[in-house]
Amino acid sequence: MAHRIVGQPIGRLDGAEKVSGAALYSADVTLPGLVWGKALRSPLPHARILRLDTSRARALPGVLAVLTARDLPDILVGRRMFDMPLLARDRVRFIGERVAVVAALDPDLAEEALALIEVEYEDLPAVFDPIEALEPGAPLVHENPGAYEGAPPERPHANVQSVLRFKLGDVEAGFREADHIFEHTFRTQLAHHGYLEPHAGVVAIDEDDRVQVWASNKMPFRLKELLSHALALPPARIRVNLTPIGGDFGGKGSLMDLPLAYHLARVTRRPVKMVMSYTEELMAGNPRHPSVITLRTGVTNDGGLVARHVTALFNSGAYAAFKPAPSVNLGGSSMGAGVYRIPHLLIEGFCVYTNNIPCGHARSPGEPQMVFAEESHMDMIAKALSLDPAEFRRRNLLRDGDVLPNGHHLEHVRAKETLEAALKASEWSKPKPPWIGRGVAMTHRHIGVGFTNAHVRLETKGTVTLTIGLPDTGTGAHMVLRQVVAEVLGLSIEEVQIELATTDTFETDSGVGGSRVTHTGGRAAYHAAEKLKEQIQAEAAKLGTPDASFATIAQAAAREGRTLEASHFYDAKAHGAVTSFTAQVAEVAVDPTTGQVTVRRFTTAHDVGTIINPIGHQGQIEGGLIQGLGFALMEELKTDEGRISTLSLGDFKLPTIRDIPPLTTVILEDPVGPGPFRAKAIGEGSISAVAPAIANAVADACGIRILDLPITAEKVYFALKAREQRS
Amino acid sequence: MIRLTVNGQSHDVEVPTYRTLLDCLRYDLGLTGSKEGCSVGVCGACTVLLDGKMISSCIALAVFADGREVTTVEGLAEDERLHPVQQAFMDAGGFQCGICTPGQVVAAKALLDAIPNPSDTEIREWMLGNLCRCTGYYKIVESIRAAAQPSRA
Repeated sequence: MAHRIVGQPIGRLDGAEKVSGAALYSADVTLPGLVWGKALRSPLPHARILRLDTSRARALPGVLAVLTARDLPDILVGRRMFDMPLLARDRVRFIGERVAVVAALDPDLAEEALALIEVEYEDLPAVFDPIEALEPGAPLVHENPGAYEGAPPERPHANVQSVLRFKLGDVEAGFREADHIFEHTFRTQLAHHGYLEPHAGVVAIDEDDRVQVWASNKMPFRLKELLSHALALPPARIRVNLTPIGGDFGGKGSLMDLPLAYHLARVTRRPVKMVMSYTEELMAGNPRHPSVITLRTGVTNDGGLVARHVTALFNSGAYAAFKPAPSVNLGGSSMGAGVYRIPHLLIEGFCVYTNNIPCGHARSPGEPQMVFAEESHMDMIAKALSLDPAEFRRRNLLRDGDVLPNGHHLEHVRAKETLEAALKASEWSKPKPPWIGRGVAMTHRHIGVGFTNAHVRLETKGTVTLTIGLPDTGTGAHMVLRQVVAEVLGLSIEEVQIELATTDTFETDSGVGGSRVTHTGGRAAYHAAEKLKEQIQAEAAKLGTPDASFATIAQAAAREGRTLEASHFYDAKAHGAVTSFTAQVAEVAVDPTTGQVTVRRFTTAHDVGTIINPIGHQGQIEGGLIQGLGFALMEELKTDEGRISTLSLGDFKLPTIRDIPPLTTVILEDPVGPGPFRAKAIGEGSISAVAPAIANAVADACGIRILDLPITAEKVYFALKAREQRS
Repeated sequence: MIRLTVNGQSHDVEVPTYRTLLDCLRYDLGLTGSKEGCSVGVCGACTVLLDGKMISSCIALAVFADGREVTTVEGLAEDERLHPVQQAFMDAGGFQCGICTPGQVVAAKALLDAIPNPSDTEIREWMLGNLCRCTGYYKIVESIRAAAQPSRA
């Protein structure tokens, strides 16, 4: 079906404020009388607080308040499982946990005040490794986690936050059918999302005693609920105002400092701003979980997968509070099945308490970890069976009617087409010189679900205003929504404007995340626009001029005191039968003398729905892919006994503009998605298969198999050295 | 007390010696376009021009700018018309969340002032100090290439 506006490569018309510096992010919000909040953080991973003396800090001129846990209600916070105190109460559980908070006239004074707070600690036995944490007699991070609100019931060990299982067939019977069984263990690193806007928030209590919030948070309506819980205030007393968000990637959905900012605002009777420094982000954000993943797979002589048992241990850190899913676990574990039909499957994911930084959700939570392990494992099996890695995959790919680990039957499966497209574009079979290798990896990603409210209004000048409660995290979703409304109503893109709601405008909204916005926001806007279209047509018929302009129609209605407007609440509860496949090929060069890995060329193929905005769509592919590249090669929050040593962006390396490889993108458009105009999702499709594609290419180039991320020059160098010494 | 010219306008500001130029711009002068990301001079979100040269304003002291001329992202547009670099970033997908964008467009403007028709290699060399986490940089290169086009004609 041909569209007029949908599918057009329209630039970011909504971006003039961003390129000109006028856009006000949360850290830019200022109010009369505003003061600054700063938190004092624990220097120890596990300790009892013996003494906490704030008197010297309180005495510093310009300091308006110093709060400790004693000054706050004893409420535990979280997103699903409520296990984290606002400030440490008697005991700290990770380096970076907040123990006190101050409000001062400026940020420098606030910092100075923190240095005057005296804390005496007594060390407690700590545990950092998730395997050790599960041993009998391991130090307990929490004595009785089952008692926390929202805690999942299953708890094989007190250091387990949650267990998530996926099961198909009978895995033990499956292994009995296998001719070969392979088992490998992989590890992935702790990694921050890398958004360049640290968490920021402003909280003010207005003259009506309402709590006004501006925050870098992508789920304003959920934030309102969580704040209501954390502050023990009725939801109606809280209003969250939407601001642009300086990058999210899964990291901006929690309360972070906001309850503390509220208490400081309450005590000082002033608006309070809290902005984390980047060092605080890296020591106490909510980064991607490190993992230890073991895959055991049974294969027949002809290369057919018959059984697989996957065990994933996620090192969750000191609190479960940052995980939003009802399982309090990472759904990405389901990718342990890869993109393959495996009749007998058992995947078990454990989120484990340790005395490390608490981890949260990061772009396609759990998937980059699991897909690295799973797709590396596939190549290792192919090698052992002397099969081409592409051919081994081909024999086992999902087909129409197959079942995913979550029980969904698939339709419109294009795994094979996607793989073939990537192989062709990458010149997979072309001969290559020594120390050059190619690696392939695949994944798939659901189209997200959730619920969104949209409201459309016809203005008397003939334009349409779309009101939406989804903040702009940067993806260009607002352009997508404008294009959808313009398409339905036959308007130009300029004739559709976005007005941002507050949490007063609508009842609810699931916010941004999980590859849902084009789907849920798009469908809400689509149906609202359809309803408005009917009204406009009825009004035109009433006027007796079916071809009357929108302005004429709106003005006629206005003369009778009416506004033509419509709302729609779209609610998608379950992932459907359609998914999106990705196949990627990395071509790398390994330097034999240094071990340095250079990606010479990268191919990414995507099975997608109707593309609404090709620029934004491609931007999601490229951005996710380079995050995947960083995860593969460089990003790592190095920790030693809970202490992170890479506490600045100088030490925690993100890819720069010089690190990007020549890229070929192949798009296989298939309009079968649940989104507006049959769109699917793209935001999380390109990140997960990058690391295994590179790892497989490194193995192809030099025979060295790296089992733990990131793939640094050091690891390759020492592996090459070790091999040299053996021979 | 220091006197500095920001985007053509002269300001007398009283600042403590430890005040960074970035804080001075953001909090003393209310110019919040320049952003604070890493605070250690590696991410580039705070990039401004000091007498035409790129600096990281988060690690420069305000007193260092005394008597000098500062150009921030707010000073790039002329007569309400966006600078070609700003327009190109909008047209070609050169930004997503926009938090690094003020620094990106200031750096890109400085690049085009110095090298009107940069090669891709020159773009990558020059823009090395401006991190972006959203775009994967491809469309930043495209945007700068597009912004350079008019001067090619």
